[in-house]
Amino acid sequence: MANPTEKNKDLRKILGQVARNKTAYLYVLPGLVGLIFLVLYPFAFDIWISFTNWNVYHNSRLGNLAYVGFKNYLLVFLNPTYGFVKISENTALWTIGCVLPTVALGLFLAIILNSKIHGKGIYRMFLIVPWAMPSFITLLVWRGMLDYEFGIVNKVLVEFFGPKSRVDWLGDPHYAFLSMVVANIWLGYPFMIIIFSGALQGIPNELYEAAAIDGAVGWREIRYIIVPLLKPTLLIAILLGSIWTFNNFNAGFLLTGGGPGISTSIFIVQAYNLAFMLFNFSESATYAFIAFLILATVGILWFRYTGVIGGGKKESQ
Amino acid sequence: MKRAQQGTTRLVIGVTKEISKHIFLIVMALVSIYPVIWVVSTAFSPGQNLATGWHLVLWIFPIPNSPTLAQFQFLFNPKLISFSLWAKNSLIITLSTVVASLAVVLPAGYCLSRRVFPGRSSIMFSFLLPTMFPGVVTIIPLFLIYAHFHLVNTYLGLIIAYTVGSLSLSIFIMKNAFDGVPKDLDEAAKIDGASDIRVFWQILLPLTLPSIATVALWAFMGAWLDFALAHVMLENNNLWTLPLALYSFITATSVEYGTFSALSLLMAIPVFIVFMLFQKYLVTGLTAGSVKG
Repeated sequence: MANPTEKNKDLRKILGQVARNKTAYLYVLPGLVGLIFLVLYPFAFDIWISFTNWNVYHNSRLGNLAYVGFKNYLLVFLNPTYGFVKISENTALWTIGCVLPTVALGLFLAIILNSKIHGKGIYRMFLIVPWAMPSFITLLVWRGMLDYEFGIVNKVLVEFFGPKSRVDWLGDPHYAFLSMVVANIWLGYPFMIIIFSGALQGIPNELYEAAAIDGAVGWREIRYIIVPLLKPTLLIAILLGSIWTFNNFNAGFLLTGGGPGISTSIFIVQAYNLAFMLFNFSESATYAFIAFLILATVGILWFRYTGVIGGGKKESQ
Repeated sequence: MKRAQQGTTRLVIGVTKEISKHIFLIVMALVSIYPVIWVVSTAFSPGQNLATGWHLVLWIFPIPNSPTLAQFQFLFNPKLISFSLWAKNSLIITLSTVVASLAVVLPAGYCLSRRVFPGRSSIMFSFLLPTMFPGVVTIIPLFLIYAHFHLVNTYLGLIIAYTVGSLSLSIFIMKNAFDGVPKDLDEAAKIDGASDIRVFWQILLPLTLPSIATVALWAFMGAWLDFALAHVMLENNNLWTLPLALYSFITATSVEYGTFSALSLLMAIPVFIVFMLFQKYLVTGLTAGSVKG
């Protein structure tokens, strides 16, 4: 137990250190202030809203805002009309369905590009185009290409399979979800190619040669040499990919807007629609906070079981 | 005889493998650039509704029947739409964001790399936090807060938000870049009597120019291409930025894919070129030193 004089001593020590490192704190201050007022405070505010009845009829401007406890959470969890189960399913399917194919495709392409093959540079340049083009624009382009009546995808289908082969890519719930996933995989694999190419170049050539003598070629080489050696990179790629996909508002919103209905809605799109289409801010905040909790839990478990830190610390390999 | 046969079999397998690799790469390369081909041919076709003005070559490639610059001329016609106004809005917001971001990131990155002080690692961690938050989690309360402080429908509100939004990644890019400059260099200069500020301007900055350019590019893209935040914050269409204009062309009552495509190209080409030049540095920054390249 600290007595008052000891406490004073500690305080003086801290103040002394702050004074000594004045310039250092001054340099990080603007960033920290921004972070506190534009990220941390809104975040806390969001949690608070989720415990109120903030909507069109009740808000601070009307002065009839009330604390409602866990009512919003109970409604979201227990009232089936809120579609929580459907949206959770969508989000899980969306994250896994996008990340795994993206990582696999990226790794496979990186391995091919790392082998002795002509025209590597040109292929690489074409392959990373989806990453270099702004995703906000390319997603809207996809939307145009998938248009039921005028879209080129249906035009090509008709060309090959006749007029009955048109598909309602964005209007039919199942196809709409598929379209979203495909478009997002298209957006994602170039980045994976780039980080896996970097990591593959770190594997010494002698290793492949020695492995080839022992009979590890083709799939075996991938299974027993490349994947184990690339494990740290793979784990980081899957984690980053999952966070980005889970939070990818553009990909979830620009193609389908979550529709038809809520059939392709993921957490982040649902939170957005609830707030800015229906002005039901408290329910939106509830969704947003649940989404954050899920992501944080998965992220922490991932850190704990894989020992990979997403940034800052250099990995000692 | 048998050995020769084995040799040819192996050769055939080798060639087949090589060919299948090329076929796979060609297909994937096509898939990668197909949307770009589509945008280019739509931008140079007459008409708005996608159905006319072009034909398919080799079954899948759209080619304009009679290439025209009409879509671009429409954009630059001052009487019809406010393209120049939106471009001006976008430029003001974007350039201010870049300047503000550099002003915040350079000192912070320097001090996280060169100074040892209590709380350093927790400060570093807190800069990483926003990457875990779904963007919408903060957009909604930010809108309510901005409404309270009369920052909705202002440039300033967006500039501040974009600057803070770029920090997480940028501070790490800069910290890693400064870490890459040997400390011996600073110390040698200090022995010769250079001040901290001089070391920063004359040694650290010139040696980390590619990273600084990357940070600027990151801030630029965040502001130039943002849709979600601007969509919420800018209700008045005189204040719209280019992404909002672009979105409006295909979601308003009339769907104008021709104009959309022309504007897409104008917006994307500068980003594309700079991105290709700086991709190497961006990757290093994005994975924050965890993946060795």
